[in-house]
Amino acid sequence: MADTDPFYFRYYTGHSGKHGHEFLEFEYSHGRLRYANNSNYRNDSLIRKEMWIGPLVVKELKRIVETSEIVKEDDANWPKPNIVGKQELEIRVGSHHISFETAKIGSLMDVSESEDPEGLRVFYYLVQDVKCLVFSLISLNFKIKPI
Amino acid sequence: MSDDGMAIDETGGGGLRRKGRGFKSRTAGESKDSEETYDRLDTKDASEQRAARSVEGWIVMVANVHEEATEEELNDKFADFGEIKNLHLNLDRRTGYVKGYALVEYETHREAKAAIDGLNGTDILGQIVSCDFAFVRPPAGGGGKPGRRDGRKRSASPGRR
Repeated sequence: MADTDPFYFRYYTGHSGKHGHEFLEFEYSHGRLRYANNSNYRNDSLIRKEMWIGPLVVKELKRIVETSEIVKEDDANWPKPNIVGKQELEIRVGSHHISFETAKIGSLMDVSESEDPEGLRVFYYLVQDVKCLVFSLISLNFKIKPI
Repeated sequence: MSDDGMAIDETGGGGLRRKGRGFKSRTAGESKDSEETYDRLDTKDASEQRAARSVEGWIVMVANVHEEATEEELNDKFADFGEIKNLHLNLDRRTGYVKGYALVEYETHREAKAAIDGLNGTDILGQIVSCDFAFVRPPAGGGGKPGRRDGRKRSASPGRR
C-alpha cells in the first residue's frame, strides 16, 4: 500500500569549505526516511541510509511538526545563509508548503540576537527535536552513531 | 497569505500556501533524485507481513507517552514482554520534558509483537498510548513515489514472501 499523504519533510545543513561540501540532510517522503551525511574530516565517506517507517512514527513526526507551528513562521527576517553555512527546511503539511533557509545557528545567542528571535527559536527547537527522533531511528535501525 | 503565481503544484488541488526564500534558491539536496545509492536493510528473513527487522532486533514505537514518564516506568511496563535491549525516551529540547514518544527494542519479533498487542491502547500514567512497529518493509518495487522508476539496479522483487 503506497502512502499517499503528501506530507513531506526535508532538512539540510551544510557548507562548502576546504574539506569540500560537507553536509547533513534528512528527508521524509511517502513512508521513506532518508539520511545523508558527508563529512570529509578524517574520513571522507558519504553515509547514506534509508528506512521505511511505520504509520505511527510518521504520525509522531507530523505531530512534532504541527505542534511546533513552524508553518506560521516566515524566514524573511532570518539571518541569510553565509560563508559559514546554510540550513534549509522544507515542509509540506496540510495546505502549507514552506521552504525556509537561514544561516547556521551556533547557539541560542544567535537566535536571541536575530531580528526574529521568536520565529527562529521555533525553527531551532523543531530542528533539534526532529534530529533527535531521526538519530534515534537511525541508531536503532542501523546501529550507527550519527555525527 | 502570499499565494503567488506559483500555485502549479501537482497535487495541490488549489489552496496550497507556499512561503519562504528557499523556493528561489535550493541547494541540490543529496537525497533528491538518487534512487539507488542509499544503504538499506534488506529484510527477507521474516515471514511477518509489514514489520521490518533492524540490525539487532525489532523496534517498537510508543506514542502519546506522558511528558513526565521515566525510563524506569516504561521499562517496568515493557519488560513484561521480553528483555529490553534498548530504550530511547527522548526529551523536548525546549521544555526538557519527555517529547511524547519512546522507542523500545526487543531481540525477537515475538516479544515486540507481544508488547504491541499487550500495550497498544492501554493507559500508562493516565494517557492512552499507541504502540506499533517502528520500521516497515519497503513497498513492493522499492521506490518512494509510486510509479517512479529510474535506473534501479536491482530487479523488482516479485511479491515478497
